[in-house]
Amino acid sequence: MNKGMSEIVKTISKIVSPFIIIFGISVIFYGHLTPGGGFPGGVIISASFVILLLAYGKEKILSKLSLYKSDILHDIGALMFLSVALAGFIGGTFFLNIFDKGKLFSLWSGGNLIFSNIAIGLKVGTSLFLGIILLSMVRIVYKENKIEFYEKKEDIK
Amino acid sequence: MNLIIFPVIFYLLSSFLIALLWKEDEKLSGIACLSFSILTLISIISLGKHLILNERIVYFVGNWRIPYGITLMVDALSYIFLLVLNFILPIICWFSLTYIEKYTKSGYFYILFSLISAGLNGILISMDFFNIYVFLELSSLASYILVAFGLRTEELEASLKYTMIGFIGSTLILIGIGLILGKTGTLNIADFMSAAMSLKKVQLWFILGLFIAGFALKSALFPFHFWLPDAHSLAPSPVSAMLSGLFIKITGFYLLIRFVSNVFIMFPESKIILMGLGLVSMIFGALMAIDQIDIKRTYAYSSISQIGYCVLAFGIGTYYGYLGAILHFIYHSFSKTLLFLNSGAIEYRYKTTKIEELKGLQDKMPYTTTTGSIGMLSISGIPPFGCFWSKIIIIIAAIKSFYYGIAFICVIVSIITLGYFLKLQRNIFYSKKEMGKNEEVNLNLLMPMVLLSVIIFFSGLILIPELKIYLDKAIDVMQNFSYIEIMEK
Amino acid sequence: MIIYLAISIMFFIGIYGMMAKKNIIKMIIGVNIIGYAVNLFFIVLGYKNNGIQPILVPGVSIEEFVEKAVNPIPQALVLTSIVIDLSTICFLAALSIRIYEKYGTFDLEKIRRLKG
Repeated sequence: MNKGMSEIVKTISKIVSPFIIIFGISVIFYGHLTPGGGFPGGVIISASFVILLLAYGKEKILSKLSLYKSDILHDIGALMFLSVALAGFIGGTFFLNIFDKGKLFSLWSGGNLIFSNIAIGLKVGTSLFLGIILLSMVRIVYKENKIEFYEKKEDIK
Repeated sequence: MNLIIFPVIFYLLSSFLIALLWKEDEKLSGIACLSFSILTLISIISLGKHLILNERIVYFVGNWRIPYGITLMVDALSYIFLLVLNFILPIICWFSLTYIEKYTKSGYFYILFSLISAGLNGILISMDFFNIYVFLELSSLASYILVAFGLRTEELEASLKYTMIGFIGSTLILIGIGLILGKTGTLNIADFMSAAMSLKKVQLWFILGLFIAGFALKSALFPFHFWLPDAHSLAPSPVSAMLSGLFIKITGFYLLIRFVSNVFIMFPESKIILMGLGLVSMIFGALMAIDQIDIKRTYAYSSISQIGYCVLAFGIGTYYGYLGAILHFIYHSFSKTLLFLNSGAIEYRYKTTKIEELKGLQDKMPYTTTTGSIGMLSISGIPPFGCFWSKIIIIIAAIKSFYYGIAFICVIVSIITLGYFLKLQRNIFYSKKEMGKNEEVNLNLLMPMVLLSVIIFFSGLILIPELKIYLDKAIDVMQNFSYIEIMEK
Repeated sequence: MIIYLAISIMFFIGIYGMMAKKNIIKMIIGVNIIGYAVNLFFIVLGYKNNGIQPILVPGVSIEEFVEKAVNPIPQALVLTSIVIDLSTICFLAALSIRIYEKYGTFDLEKIRRLKG
């Protein structure tokens, strides 16, 4: 028996999801020039993983991006944001913008905005993915005064 | 000058580092959290030297001036609250090094504990409406999760009730901030005060009413107290100590003081509302605490009563009223923390907190009995322990302003407080039934309680004239300061 | 003016859903609707008639930008508020799964072991 959804859904989601990731990365990187920034870009990146999760089932996703790796990635995102803020101490005050601001409307014109956008995008993307997959990992079935936990769907009789 | 932000930075760094490196190892994460707490205490003490020279310290984040950026400010009133907060937090962390071992996944406890501490420190230093809201939400969210930490049946229900009611309180504050943004276009407190002269009185009353309702929900005054007995009595003991000793005072009482006496200075009659709320919650808390069968629930209702004392004293409004409010805050924080840690030590050994199952602990746990008795006598108002001085000053303040009925009610509620604490002492500590072998708790659990009881014993010495000038500076801030003076520099 | 009336109706629908329903899941949806109403109120505060977006593209002059652009400060505040509400809803959902495990039901009338 095939796990997951039908063949059409699997093929389409396999084709579409890299484009969604690239669109999310572009929303994060140009956050100081166009609408968006860290948080919406992170939500878009996690949405692409959730599409794959819905189409293929959780064992296949967890073999590509395990819970341990996404745990470490989201902590690195948080520490990166704090270190961008602490780097302002070199110039004098907290959170000062010490990087070189190039010419207007180019990619490097925001100072330390680009680093904080990348840090927040990383953190939000992995946190939302972790939240959704952890809430769906356990199946609870309530049968006539006894409650049982199941990990795989085949165990439910 | 950069020392202002160090509390927030250290606690955020502690939570992120423990999450990355030491989540599995429980001993190491506890020691990391304790060392960051002590570093924060050292940095706050060295901030005091700067504060004695200038009257207040104003700090511009990222070097942006007033209408464009976030500003931080510490003055004498904030400094007293910062000292008390950062002094009690390492003591609670030390106690929970051995207590949290019996819960599963105790590495996560220290992450959430550091987040609450970062949020509480952030509220005390910020001078911007939205900044206060963000730190308030940070610490509230972490406290919703910590109340349900033990995953017993009753804790989950208490946390559900607490989350929903706390969310409504935060939403009321957010609507008030939205109205301020819409009418004046600025979110800085100093800038708002210079633009608030052109608004009509009715609009300012509406905004003040929303803020008072939101802060009264967060600090459990009378019509808004429904979440407190369940949440504080069923949480794990260090969490109860932090919630009942620090959280309801900083998110409720401190913000009420700031907003009523420094920001909305054009309505001095709003203190009468606070006086009414404080009086009713004082009587209600004392009456409900008489008949409880569980130790921690008695302490939770007693918290409602003592917060009523603080708000009543602040509402009276003269010099002695302000002095009584600040002193009662300081003494009650130390005493209530000691009592909750004490009940945690009893629960660690006997696994229960109901009164009928615990009798005659005097021979079995002599040190726990002594420290518990000191805490209970202190809140009831017995000299020379702490709260005696503050209750006397509150009664003097009521008599000097010719509110004789309120002074009489204060004395009666004090006698009722002494009544239920004596009932607890007689039944738990000093009765004669045998309970088992002779066993005393761990040394790690005893040392924080002994330290707190020594401080309470000698804490009447704050009123000698050399140390009283610092309290006078804080009272001067409450009486004469408004944020417009920062704009004139 | 009509938009503020519609936002307040949405707020009161959210409060009705949170207080008058007995199922925990319906209460959580009520909390969600309150969050949406407050965020919408913030965004509408900064609106100007015939306004342009507050982004400086190379074809717009500075005077026209200052005069016609919509206020961007409430939009930044709404981003923070959405994140906070999302975290609260996520925690409430996890809590209700654990409550179903212990009590066996989502009905609020039967989840009342605490009294006094």
